[in-house]
Amino acid sequence: MRQSIPYRGPLLVFVALAVAGAGVARWARAADHRDSTVLTANPARDIADIYSFRSPANPANLVLIMTVSGFIPPAEASNTFLDPGVLYQWKIDNDDDAVEDLVVQAFATGTGADQVIHFRGPAVPEVTGTTGRIPDGDELVQVALSTGDTPVTASAGGVTVFAGVRDDPFFFDLAQFQQIIAGNATAFNDPGTDTFAGTNVLALVFEVPITQLGGSSTLGIWGTTSQFTD
Amino acid sequence: MSPHYCSIRMGALLLAGLLVAGCADDSAPGTAPNLSQLRNRPARQADRFGLPAIATVFIPSAQKDAYNAAQPVNDRAEFTDEVVAVLTAFGHPDPAALASVLLPDIQPVNTSQPSGFLNGRRPQDDVITAELGIIFGGNAALNDDHVDQNDKTFLAAFPYFAPPHLP
Repeated sequence: MRQSIPYRGPLLVFVALAVAGAGVARWARAADHRDSTVLTANPARDIADIYSFRSPANPANLVLIMTVSGFIPPAEASNTFLDPGVLYQWKIDNDDDAVEDLVVQAFATGTGADQVIHFRGPAVPEVTGTTGRIPDGDELVQVALSTGDTPVTASAGGVTVFAGVRDDPFFFDLAQFQQIIAGNATAFNDPGTDTFAGTNVLALVFEVPITQLGGSSTLGIWGTTSQFTD
Repeated sequence: MSPHYCSIRMGALLLAGLLVAGCADDSAPGTAPNLSQLRNRPARQADRFGLPAIATVFIPSAQKDAYNAAQPVNDRAEFTDEVVAVLTAFGHPDPAALASVLLPDIQPVNTSQPSGFLNGRRPQDDVITAELGIIFGGNAALNDDHVDQNDKTFLAAFPYFAPPHLP
């Protein structure tokens, strides 16, 4: 196995620009970089991470988490909000064909600290693919946005939900990785430095009984954000 | 620009068949449609995420918007070449085989087994080192970033993530 990355041309420059996508723009501004390639007009629409795991408190439940709007500094923790123009979705494939069979949807109403986040699902989507819509019918549960230390939660139909600011759970020496890609370093440091330490993120958390996800135990999950187009 | 002008421009662009990421006014969290306005409004996909770091590592910036607007069922047909190209540049011994594992970009979850990346993804899973190992194998300079845990302890109960850093 080679001991160094053999090719440091433009092919790898895009990696330095794109790694950790959401939030890099905010971090890049803080670090006085000047790259507009990854700047985004709407951090609340950029997914930082997706987590899917059986609840350690109750393994009969699956926890679905989507984080958006990374690199929120402490000073902005209580005044960073979701975008009411965005539909947040989890897509769940339960018959192994890479097409969603169920969706969980979330969207915010209101702006600022009085935002309320509305959840529905798991439910069969009206259409699959990249054009989505919220169908008529009752929502499952709504919850007020959490903006500080104490999490606000809500439950209905066996499901528990949360939406708001949390410590960013992601950890990675992104800065050193970028040095490697740029050709300024040939290895990670040991120990490394977590570029995401001290930063926050907005999290949508949906804990659901596994029995509501279809009869198969093998699922495929991904998250999407969509912009309302009217 | 007024929101009304923005809506007209959006409509014209949609008629022209172009993907629109959203004009500046509408993407700022200042508009607050009520519930009856939201139902049955179409929404166009702007971002998607399955496995950690796949899109950000393997998809060139020129194709980022197209990737984010695409759906996993088409990933192997549309993006295998890009994944293979990056794996080849990184010196991976079998880029085609690994590309067929990484695509489609979907997180597998077996709910009858304990969770732990690659089976699902728990907050504490060191997904970066797991993926560096997959890509760089035995190359000790590159297969581990030596950041093994989050800066705050996760919660054993809902909502699992630690409280935010406040001023």
